Amino acid sequence: MRKRYGDNLWDLLRILAAGAWSILVGLYITGINLIRPGVCERYPRRDHRPDYQPRPGYRGDFALLSDPERPGGLRCIACLQCQNICPDQCIHITPEGKGKDRHPVQFRIDTGLCQFCWLCVEVCPVAAITMTPDYETATDQPQKLIRDLDTLRERGRNIPEPQRVEPVGCVADGGA
Amino acid sequence: MTWDPTCVTEELVVNMGPQHPSTHGVLRLILRLDGERVLEVRPDIGFLHSSLEKIAERLDYRQYLPYTDRYDYLCAMANELAYVRAVESLLGVEPTPRCQWIRVMMAEMNRIASHLVYYGALGMDTGATTVFLYCFRERERILQLFEDASGQRLLYHYFRIGGLRNDLPPGFCEGLRSFLDEFPRRVAEYDALLTRNRIFRSRTEGVGYLSPEAALSYGVTGPTLRGSGVSYDLRRAAPYYVYPELEFDVPTRPEGDVMARHLVRQEEMLQSVHLLHQCLDRLPPGEINVKVPRKLKPDPGEIYVRIESPRGELGVYLISDGSEKPYRLHWRAPSFHNLQAYPEMCQGAYVADLVAILGSLDIILGDVDR
Amino acid sequence: MLSFIANWLRDLLTAWFQAWHVPLVFVDILAWIVGGVAILILVMVVALVFIYLERKISGYIQSRLGPERVGPWGIFQTAMDALKLLQKEDIVPAGADKILHTLGPIAFFVVGLLGYLVIPWEEGGTIARMVDAHVGVLYVLAFGSLSVIGILMGGWGSNNKWSLLGALRGAAQMISYEVPMLLAVVCVVLLAGSLSLSTIVDQQKTLGLLSWNLWRPWLWLPVILYLIAATAEVNRTPFDLPEAESELVAGYHTEYSGMKFAFFFLAEYGNFFLVGLIFSVLFLGGWSSPFGYPDPLRIPGVIWLLGKATVTVFFLMWVRWTLPRLRVDQLMSLCWKVLLPVGFLSLLIAGTAALYV
Ligand code: SF4
Ligand code: SF4
Repeated sequence: MRKRYGDNLWDLLRILAAGAWSILVGLYITGINLIRPGVCERYPRRDHRPDYQPRPGYRGDFALLSDPERPGGLRCIACLQCQNICPDQCIHITPEGKGKDRHPVQFRIDTGLCQFCWLCVEVCPVAAITMTPDYETATDQPQKLIRDLDTLRERGRNIPEPQRVEPVGCVADGGA
Repeated sequence: MTWDPTCVTEELVVNMGPQHPSTHGVLRLILRLDGERVLEVRPDIGFLHSSLEKIAERLDYRQYLPYTDRYDYLCAMANELAYVRAVESLLGVEPTPRCQWIRVMMAEMNRIASHLVYYGALGMDTGATTVFLYCFRERERILQLFEDASGQRLLYHYFRIGGLRNDLPPGFCEGLRSFLDEFPRRVAEYDALLTRNRIFRSRTEGVGYLSPEAALSYGVTGPTLRGSGVSYDLRRAAPYYVYPELEFDVPTRPEGDVMARHLVRQEEMLQSVHLLHQCLDRLPPGEINVKVPRKLKPDPGEIYVRIESPRGELGVYLISDGSEKPYRLHWRAPSFHNLQAYPEMCQGAYVADLVAILGSLDIILGDVDR
Repeated sequence: MLSFIANWLRDLLTAWFQAWHVPLVFVDILAWIVGGVAILILVMVVALVFIYLERKISGYIQSRLGPERVGPWGIFQTAMDALKLLQKEDIVPAGADKILHTLGPIAFFVVGLLGYLVIPWEEGGTIARMVDAHVGVLYVLAFGSLSVIGILMGGWGSNNKWSLLGALRGAAQMISYEVPMLLAVVCVVLLAGSLSLSTIVDQQKTLGLLSWNLWRPWLWLPVILYLIAATAEVNRTPFDLPEAESELVAGYHTEYSGMKFAFFFLAEYGNFFLVGLIFSVLFLGGWSSPFGYPDPLRIPGVIWLLGKATVTVFFLMWVRWTLPRLRVDQLMSLCWKVLLPVGFLSLLIAGTAALYV
């Protein structure tokens, strides 16, 4: 089955010529790419796309949105729904108060366990918990991966509204 | 010098993997070599076992969805699609038309992304490192689109039971369209750089032959099967969602060697581009979600749903006992079945062919070991 | 320039030694040592520079950036890597043949250095005139094929099956490709009528660029032949089978770490540059200026030679990042079934040309 070299000299020459040509074409392509600008980002330096931010809705680090009117200053009503739906059981909430005053006194998310699935954000009835586009959460100490109430509150302070994006969908452009 | 019959060469038993640059993860191959010739290959799998099927039994239907991404991590959308379809059929829920179109779009985009990884990896296995990075360059654009839509680059968790996480973000269609316009040119570039290269051709043509009969008897599916000349594609054979309305070819090659499988995948990328163009043209407006109950409790029963993933027939076998959690979930993993044919393909191969054949199978160890 | 320095040094030493009544043979010994150290430093620097260039060029070819964090444009990256390798633990695998394991990289490195001795760096001079280079071509080819011993030692001594496979591949490949390479070089020798590298350069210097061997049609086949065979000699893609990382992990240097690995690595680039140098000498006019003789720009010959070698090396790098790797049987059949007949053919052509042109 394997036919590598031609049966006669002419075939052999043809194969050699075609092979040489294919190599030249390859060299041409890599040569073109050599002078094309690269696409890599100088990651920590960000001079490629200095203003790049992940889109709202990006699943990064957590934040709890604040609400000054409520006890504890958080929107969260400590309904524990996020704790229950989390597939990895990485949310631990200690609630306090009854009825309208119910709020969390401890709220810990172990982002080391978390798989950033967004289910907790989706399930929250008052849109209290959200994920920010902050993706630089690497650390060399596991305990630093645990977010507690204060960190979460601090992160949520500057977020005016939850990132519950339901963007305008694009529809068929009719090929235009 | 005459051949000395008392001079016996020894066979060499080598472990290839689980830590080896080109076993595509943590596959262990036990090789019996006679010099450079391979006498026997025994794949030893299970190093990436993550008990994903068992996990399904302890989580409810919604909670398991993000885990499907982790299963075959190069085509997370396809896994989600299979699982979501299975649960929806158990529940008797039919997604809205717009949702179906978007799901098909996502699956096709994912097919391109996955084939690009395959393409680059095969180049890498045969020693052409450059094409790998070109492929990743283009894949990055798809991942960016996925990130815009779903919030993550690789493990999307974009589909929901009964719908989607959110509608397509603004600018998505334009971004996709510009990618689709450029992509065929890039494929032509890879084609000239790798596929038509004489050295690559001699490395792949006639290597790793798999006959159609053997392929069928091993349960091989997907591009690997189509590379053996069997035109079998679930998008055609058992169409789902909007595929019957779409026009596409099922690329098939009769040769059954590495090159045939390679060409099938290359052609499939272009077919996906064609499909995506049609999707973009016809994407209907409307709702994306249908109402599903807060607590998902399908009636007792069982179902097997299959889709065409980039690697072949991806099936979900789901048994419900009427509770909130699946009673049993089984993945019909295409990579697992394709890998079974590997020793057969390696008969009489050289060591260097092993990696090329493995590359052409496009297995994902997360898929094999589950 | 080089010979000027060498002469100056020698005169100085002779004067001193005479003043202190030291036998003059020590002048020669000292000169040898100085020359040897000079070559060592040169090879080290060249290797570091070319490893950096290779990474940068491959980066740009692959639309990446290459190293760019250590120093401006990352120029200190390879130096830092060498430092890192120095600190690394030197691991000898259990059951390895310790002596061979240690000797392997050293042999490889030293043999790689030896080829540099006969390169005519500029008019009338090899480094410190240590070697009488009347048979330079022979010498270079001989030591080129010796480096296989280092590879075999390393591969066998590592007690690792992958290393062994890599070493055997290396041996088979380097010995086979020696033949077409030899044929290619012999064509040039035929035309030059001399085995001395300096003479070969001398014959290409008169009209600058125009008198290069590269422009003689009857030498085009040898040019291609030499490039292919030399790439195979230094184990670079598409002939990097001995260290094919997707097949043999890292081939013969799988089990090496730390400085021993660095030796392999440096010597590889040293050899690589040597190929560039010899190619420039044989086909690109060596140290002579491309603008005629004597050089109207008054640039020292060393610079021209290094520049030409760099261009050659750049081309080979470009090839490396373009092509896939051959398989072992294809490698052999390419050598024996294609290159060898082509070599004989080119010998015929060159011989005819030498007679009639
Ligand atoms: S994102 Fe998912 S895994 Fe992470 S805390 Fe929320 S529910 Fe749990
Ligand atoms: S964050 Fe939302 S879901 Fe979680 S406890 Fe608070 S209110 Fe409930």
